[in-house]
Amino acid sequence: MTAHRDSGAGPPDEYVEAEIHRLLTEDPAVAEQGITVVRTERALVLHGEVESAHRREEILRRVADRFPDVPITSDIGVVRTQAPTEIEQLP
Amino acid sequence: MVIRIAAVGDVHLDEDVVGRFRPALEQLPGNVDALLLAGDLTRHGTEAEARCVAREFGGLGVPVIAVLGNHDHQCDQVPQVIGALEEAGITVLEGDGVVLDCPGGRLGVAGVKGFGGGFAGRCASDFGEPEMKAFVRTTTESADRLSEALRSLDCDVLVALTHYAPVPDTLAGEPLEIYPFLGCYQLGQAVDAAPTALALHGHAHHGTERGTTPGGVRVRNVAHPVIKQAYSVFHLGDHLDQGEVSGVAAGGIQQPWS
Repeated sequence: MTAHRDSGAGPPDEYVEAEIHRLLTEDPAVAEQGITVVRTERALVLHGEVESAHRREEILRRVADRFPDVPITSDIGVVRTQAPTEIEQLP
Repeated sequence: MVIRIAAVGDVHLDEDVVGRFRPALEQLPGNVDALLLAGDLTRHGTEAEARCVAREFGGLGVPVIAVLGNHDHQCDQVPQVIGALEEAGITVLEGDGVVLDCPGGRLGVAGVKGFGGGFAGRCASDFGEPEMKAFVRTTTESADRLSEALRSLDCDVLVALTHYAPVPDTLAGEPLEIYPFLGCYQLGQAVDAAPTALALHGHAHHGTERGTTPGGVRVRNVAHPVIKQAYSVFHLGDHLDQGEVSGVAAGGIQQPWS
């Protein structure tokens, strides 16, 4: 987990959570529908997986730019692309 | 008789992803009969992003069959997106199907993007405001096109390929409140109205892999964040020949899943 911003501003407003969620989809630099925003006592936590490290960084940058006073914590991963090691047989 | 299918959805390609899938994709020739892509191939549905998909998934030496997803519609460049994919030899289905002659028999794939709407007892109805009626009619028209395409194919093994989910089972892990935006029961009805062997979809990044339609057809969510690998491989057939499984193992896809 990456602590992205100091907490202490109190629980973020529910509307901020909604706005961040929409920004993640509607901002052309992000366009992610698979990121979950979870409100905790200390921060908003972003969960999910993206296709590149660049996209993960861009998400954090855009959210921090738009909501500079909101404490954000990131737990976003990059999806692995290795070949499978198992086959599912469907007789 | 075994038909071997690789599948993945929601790869969301742009320049920053090109090359990530390719090493795994190069193991496909000789090991599978076709690669199926379950929509959301791009981030915003631009022609430039579609060319990234073409570079990554084109020229693989196995047939590649795709449907588009909602992301592929974002920039209103669907004809250009389809054009770029088809130039790379990728077949794009929307309310139609294709039959491939494979060593294990004829594989039929019918595809449609699909749409939301929700599942039995918790779904939108064709009633009220024009906007709501347009929403639900989009759902039913899409499902009707899938049904027609599935029933039109003459093949040994029939596969339904969609972006939106035909059952709620494979959405487990997503918030219940957004199920109506992730799929609809009408797609499941279309799958069940034909002798479908397998239904593949994507779209639900937080969903789960396995489900079944009310009619007993197996459903797999192959969204990339769900399968967490370059693609999943399925062997379909009346019986599975151990020799063929071993042959696959030699190619790098190692362990049969019993």
